[in-house]
Amino acid sequence: MSLMRPDLQMDESFYKVEEIRTLTGNAFSVKLPKARFAFKAGQHISLGIVGGNQSREYSIYSGENDEHLEVLVKEVENGYFTPQLRRLKVGKMVEVHGPFGKFGMEPEAAKTGKFVFIASGTGIAPFRSIVRTYPGIDYQLIHGVRYAEEAYDSHEYDSSRYMLCTSRENKGAYHGRLTGYLKTCTFAPETHFDLCGNSNMIFDALEILREKGFDRDQIHCEVYF
Amino acid sequence: MKYHLITLGCQMNIADSERVSSVLEGMGYEKTDNEEDASLLGILACSVRQKPIDKVYNKIAQWNKWKNKRNLITFVSGCLLPADKEKFLKTFDLIFQMSELPQFPDMIREYGVVTPAGLKTPAVVMPKNEHIAAMWHIKPKYQSTYEAFVPIQNGCDKFCTFCAVPYTRGREVSRPSDEILEEVRNLVNQGYKSITLLGQNVNSYGLDKKGEEITFAGLLRSIGDFGRTSEHEFWVYFTSPHPQDMNREVIEVIATYDCLAKQIHLPMQSGDEKVLIKMNRRHSMDKYRHIVADIRELIPQATLFTDIIVGFTGEGEAEFQHTIDAMEEFKFNMAYIAMYSPRPGAASFRWEDEVSQDDKKERLHRLSEILKITSHAYNESKLGKTVRLLVNGTDRKTGFSTGLTEGKVIVRLDRRDDSLMGKIVNVRITSASSLSMSGEVV
Repeated sequence: MSLMRPDLQMDESFYKVEEIRTLTGNAFSVKLPKARFAFKAGQHISLGIVGGNQSREYSIYSGENDEHLEVLVKEVENGYFTPQLRRLKVGKMVEVHGPFGKFGMEPEAAKTGKFVFIASGTGIAPFRSIVRTYPGIDYQLIHGVRYAEEAYDSHEYDSSRYMLCTSRENKGAYHGRLTGYLKTCTFAPETHFDLCGNSNMIFDALEILREKGFDRDQIHCEVYF
Repeated sequence: MKYHLITLGCQMNIADSERVSSVLEGMGYEKTDNEEDASLLGILACSVRQKPIDKVYNKIAQWNKWKNKRNLITFVSGCLLPADKEKFLKTFDLIFQMSELPQFPDMIREYGVVTPAGLKTPAVVMPKNEHIAAMWHIKPKYQSTYEAFVPIQNGCDKFCTFCAVPYTRGREVSRPSDEILEEVRNLVNQGYKSITLLGQNVNSYGLDKKGEEITFAGLLRSIGDFGRTSEHEFWVYFTSPHPQDMNREVIEVIATYDCLAKQIHLPMQSGDEKVLIKMNRRHSMDKYRHIVADIRELIPQATLFTDIIVGFTGEGEAEFQHTIDAMEEFKFNMAYIAMYSPRPGAASFRWEDEVSQDDKKERLHRLSEILKITSHAYNESKLGKTVRLLVNGTDRKTGFSTGLTEGKVIVRLDRRDDSLMGKIVNVRITSASSLSMSGEVV
């Protein structure tokens, strides 16, 4: 039983910001204490600033067993929410609700399945969570960005499994859109594909995969915008 | 002490309102249809579209003016978005989630003599469904003696990008099957003819309690088994299912038992693969097509209803054409077609609403025309045939009795006979139009 007066108890959905981790000029992660709820890698949360009146949904960037709950955020120029989030000082409170969503995989599938993760920009977030949760997973991660600096935390992935596609400069493993790279690939018939990011990339990748003969049931999508 | 309750939105809210009525009448309140007679005024709100929310704002403004002249308590519940909830905290005396319904009498009692100061209200938090079971234990005060709604599941885990329901109703929680079966049995034994199992994703039933609870197909089978032993004739419906969780087993069970109505409501939302992805519907058109094929194979007599949204972000003319093609292919008996409007709290709210209102109207019209053709063809196929009809109302224009077939097609009778109300009778179909039929009792 709690010894605190109920009206003094802190809402369990409030978290103190532990770090705003700068990744690029406009991308950062928000690190919070370990989640007080169980989540499945691939799910998302709703994040608001305590005292504010808006919230946004973000895929969880950290693994299920990590000591921190973390989300990956791209600052929207002249946006309302993300600039405020970026300016948050350590110790400030945010409000977290969730977890939400069905993107991801069952633990058993992670042990035995063969996966190709296809992400554009910050769409890599759920895949980092999955890879951190299931270190032994058989995956290939195709990450499409404009500039190489957007290869968020790419050092964490096995370099033989991570393919960076850069569209605006020739500094990735592949110069061009990830869909261009995807066309050149061959995959085992039993592969499962998980796509996350902007809808145009997802539509194009979906077409390519279907042209390669993969069934729609093998392809799972999470649209960001 | 009288209360007046306004129920907006879907059948879930209707079912919830029956439980709210039960609680209030248990406290000694008497229901009134005249809000001016009531000292307790409430709304079960719906956030799916803007119009019902506007109505809530208008109502509470009016009620708060009345407070200058008489003592009133106002409350709001139902589907509320956090942003609206925050505003309602300042305007309504009481706000509660359905899972808090058992505590509603305490909230009213705490209020004591009505004062303008208001009562402490729950904080603005995301809905938590852990206590929804207590709400289900409340025996509802049914609004009809022959049609009833039975909630079997609450909440939604699907996160369609156009919808804020997961943020207003919380996670999917299944009601214990023994409670559901008991409620259905009691209703049937009391003479109820039409029972609708309700849930935001009704066929996701049991998925939150895998291994501990029966599946949706299992639940239907149990109801079907009871139906076979019952001497009463009744039809059991369910709404709304999600194609993602629909399977052949459910359709096989419906085909097996007479009491499981041969009417399936299967929301499609769009016929275009890309739009479905953008809506985060998590089912492909192939999947939808397979389900419909199973329905046509196993229950050829079933009517098929759907929901469609026109003008969603990303729906160009080419994408819309796929919805037209699907409408023509599936030959729906009824389609609830809505023009897309961004809802605060839904993921798509921050996306550009790029289809003009005129285009949305035009698309709605085009789909409605197809619906008229396909439903007309079905209705014409019934000409001269005798169907079972649940008489449930009167036609506004003619004053004659009307009813619904097992497939939920409206039939207008050739006379008024109040003695038939709530009964299932044989009717011979004498004429057919696009969305209804006419007939005579035989």
